[in-house]
Amino acid sequence: MRASWIAAGVLPLMLPITSSFAQQGPIKIGLILPLSGTFAPNGEDTLTGTRIYFDSIGNQVGGRKIELIIEDEQGRPDVGLTKARKLVENDKVQILAGFVSTAVALAVNDYAREKKIPMVLSGDAGANELTMPGPLYNPYIVRTSQNGRTPAAAAAAFAYKNGWRKVATMTSDYAGGFDTIGGFAQAFCKLGGTIVQEQYPPINTNDYGPYVTNVQSGVDGVVTFLPGSAGLKFVKQFDELGMKAKYPLMDIFGQIVYEPFLPQLGDAALGIYSTLHYAPTIKTPENEAFVAEYMKRAKRIPSDNGADGWAGAHAIADAAKAVDGKVEDTEKFLAAFRPDKFASPKGNISFDKYGQLIQSMYVRKVEKTADGYANVVVEKFDNVDQFWPMTEAELESYKYRYSELKGSMTNCAKVLEKK
Amino acid sequence: MARILLFIALAAVVFVALPFVVPSYYVGLTTKILIFALFAMSLDLLIGYTGLASLGHAAFFGISAYTIAVLSVKLRMSEWIAFPAGLTMAIALGAVFALLALRARGSYLLMITLALAQVVWGIAFGWRTMTGGDDGLPGLRRPAFVSDETSFYFLVLGLVAASTVVLVALIRSPFGLALQGIRESESRMQALGFNVWRHQFVAFVIAAAFAGLAGALYVYYNRFVSPDFLHVVRSAEVLIMVIIGGVGTLLGPAIGAAAIILLEDIISSQTQHWLLALGIIYVATTLFAPRGLIGLYRERFMARRKP
Amino acid sequence: MIWVIHTLNGISFGMLLFLLAAGLSLIYGLMKILNLTHGSYYLIGAYVGSTIIAKTGSFALALIVAPLVVALLGAVMERYFLRRFHLQELPQTLLTFGFLFIFADLMLWIWGGDPIVLPKPAAFSGSISIGDARYPTYRLALIAVGLIVALILWWFQERTRLGAMLRAGVDDAEIAGALGIDVSLLFTLVFAVGALLAALGGVLGGPIIGAQPGADFEVMLLAFVVVIVGGLGSLRGALIGGLLVGLLDNFGKIFFPELALFTIFVPMAIILSFRPTGLFGRL
Repeated sequence: MRASWIAAGVLPLMLPITSSFAQQGPIKIGLILPLSGTFAPNGEDTLTGTRIYFDSIGNQVGGRKIELIIEDEQGRPDVGLTKARKLVENDKVQILAGFVSTAVALAVNDYAREKKIPMVLSGDAGANELTMPGPLYNPYIVRTSQNGRTPAAAAAAFAYKNGWRKVATMTSDYAGGFDTIGGFAQAFCKLGGTIVQEQYPPINTNDYGPYVTNVQSGVDGVVTFLPGSAGLKFVKQFDELGMKAKYPLMDIFGQIVYEPFLPQLGDAALGIYSTLHYAPTIKTPENEAFVAEYMKRAKRIPSDNGADGWAGAHAIADAAKAVDGKVEDTEKFLAAFRPDKFASPKGNISFDKYGQLIQSMYVRKVEKTADGYANVVVEKFDNVDQFWPMTEAELESYKYRYSELKGSMTNCAKVLEKK
Repeated sequence: MARILLFIALAAVVFVALPFVVPSYYVGLTTKILIFALFAMSLDLLIGYTGLASLGHAAFFGISAYTIAVLSVKLRMSEWIAFPAGLTMAIALGAVFALLALRARGSYLLMITLALAQVVWGIAFGWRTMTGGDDGLPGLRRPAFVSDETSFYFLVLGLVAASTVVLVALIRSPFGLALQGIRESESRMQALGFNVWRHQFVAFVIAAAFAGLAGALYVYYNRFVSPDFLHVVRSAEVLIMVIIGGVGTLLGPAIGAAAIILLEDIISSQTQHWLLALGIIYVATTLFAPRGLIGLYRERFMARRKP
Repeated sequence: MIWVIHTLNGISFGMLLFLLAAGLSLIYGLMKILNLTHGSYYLIGAYVGSTIIAKTGSFALALIVAPLVVALLGAVMERYFLRRFHLQELPQTLLTFGFLFIFADLMLWIWGGDPIVLPKPAAFSGSISIGDARYPTYRLALIAVGLIVALILWWFQERTRLGAMLRAGVDDAEIAGALGIDVSLLFTLVFAVGALLAALGGVLGGPIIGAQPGADFEVMLLAFVVVIVGGLGSLRGALIGGLLVGLLDNFGKIFFPELALFTIFVPMAIILSFRPTGLFGRL
């Protein structure tokens, strides 16, 4: 009810700006990405993916040149907002894109909404609420990456199907962690499984020894969401302390088995399951071409960030083409994203009415292949929208926000409580 | 004296005319510079005039910002309550820090203020239901009378100018002179019958109050708050602003704040390697202007006037 | 049995902290420099070590070469930069902060931003049984190495001529100079040794803490906490501070998982509130 109200009523009302002038210049896109600090690799990957697509169309669409202006948000929300102001007010960009950190996306959110600037989340920023009806929803947002809960829901589906009934979880203690593991708990409880233990190591934990030793014995598997170096450090100890031989691992978002980690992990990574909306091993012409070009440019295997950046660039170009390059007509330009469909390295993608990508989810398993250790796809869920496998109404009917579930996920009755 | 009055008049004209002359982005950037100038001056009161170094100054800046954001966004209170509450929390935290830290000196004082500030950071990061954790707390509205950039700029300009006047008056007051005496020699001031601890305590609380004011303005400027408002990196940043500008000169730290914000803004738009460039600039500043930009200016200025 | 494991975890992490903090403490004791690039030395050590291991496969070689490279870097920084600002705390802070930025950017440029965890040496890659649990031998080796380094440093400080000079320098650099001690050489040497110890911590800690952008700052904070808790300029303080922080951090996370963010800074604030110069520090 509320959702259709936003889509049908508010969207047109909030987008009155139209202009039939100033189209001779280039289409300027401001990319806000972390290019220094901990998240620099994510920023670099998104940037490379974005460039690959725009280069492939000659950096031109609808009769206008495309100009990228790149700014480093330094992993700091206030810097991200300052950069957004500079891009919009000084460089006169018509579109903001990128965004790896959710905090940065949230910081820019209000500003972009006020300035009526389309914000294409082609980076990792995965807060569920950004594309769902609610106080944070911004009709100017289009997201070509994923939200936190869908890879988690896919992990639950796969785990249950393969006989896991009792699991222990290990999640980095931060907002993105709850968005993700909460999504897992909800999906897994709904199927009939139980979480018997929750652990939350802080994000800058150096020593995972205590957490590994603490894993409850007798579980069917351990489900993790440990981004950045956390996954790498965790799994090394998980292996050394003899736990990996006992319990299978399900790595939501593929953070442990991130491709640059695989050579470092060697056999320690073998057999780890992970869920993600991408795998470099996908056998489609789009992906094979993408991977080849990516390896040529960046000398590394693309991550999901690279594929998301590519998809973001593609979607922007399609929408710009659909309005004959008149991206200044914000209302029409944004509306042009909604019906867009194309084949991407990630698979076939389309958009829902909130601007969130509908795409495939892949379950991967680390195997030793001719090219070394790789994430091989073992299962694929198609047309996964942001509410999958539920409907929007059903997801809305649950009482708790994921972040409020921390500490009570072992109690399925509570997890499944309805409004 | 005439020279100073002329300088003040000139500065007043420039700052008042600015929003009508430069593009909107630079009005916003100047607002940010003014806020950090105030923040840096508040730290200079501690380091430069009282001789107490702190690596936890962002805690006051941040707690004021968080108090305002939480009261306004989560508890839907009016800015007439939230704003004073923010300042009050900064002052209270300043008193707590001073009580716990003032026995330490030098590097130990730097580190205990750092530790205390990291505890406050941990609360902001961890108390998710109130603070939003690492995602921060967006959705703050500016008071209606300063909702547009220009009027907000003038609010900040007015408050920062007034604060500067108060700080200058404070430094020149008997209390301020006593602080500077303490900076030079605690034992002498003690012998002269001054209660050193009480003076330092009051200086700490006043510095916290002005840092809190800067934080309050910054949260309205950005309309959100996140844990890095009070992270040690921000404390270090403001310390660098003070050193680059010139410790114990009040105007110097304000200039240091402007220099760093402008440099970072310009360089980071030009090159991905802005950290390298900024690092080289810091090293060069140390080598060629060890007493800060103001010190450099004074040396040159004096050198020319001497013969 | 689980308590033995937790205790060993705490001690081995504490020994690593000692390695990281000892150099910082030595440098402060003699020169009163709060070196903000100390964490950078750790990270450079870890990165150089990882490259050496990748090229030669030898952990031992990395353990020797990487610290020497970083020691040279430290010597250059002391002789050509920090020396000019002897006993001037604020210019030193700005200078080392500048170097922190420079090193961070160069490391990102050279080694990229993907996190690395160094492989362990083959001889210590297994684990032994402790009761019904397994414990990695590498961590036990780390404890041994920490103790050996502590012994060497103690011997150096208390039993050698250079150590006597060092102690004289710590007490009063001017008098030491008047006594004919070459203070200039001593300063460079101690600074280089401090950097070397941090880089040694980088290679040894590489398999546990790892290397990634931002680790420089985190390690610097940890090292500061340890030397402040133990007392600046005191080797004994660095050792006991390291063990204390390592154990507190470990058991804090077990007993109070909700307060994991505070396990280091709250004890530090409490200790300093009662003992403003740390456990073994002098003013």
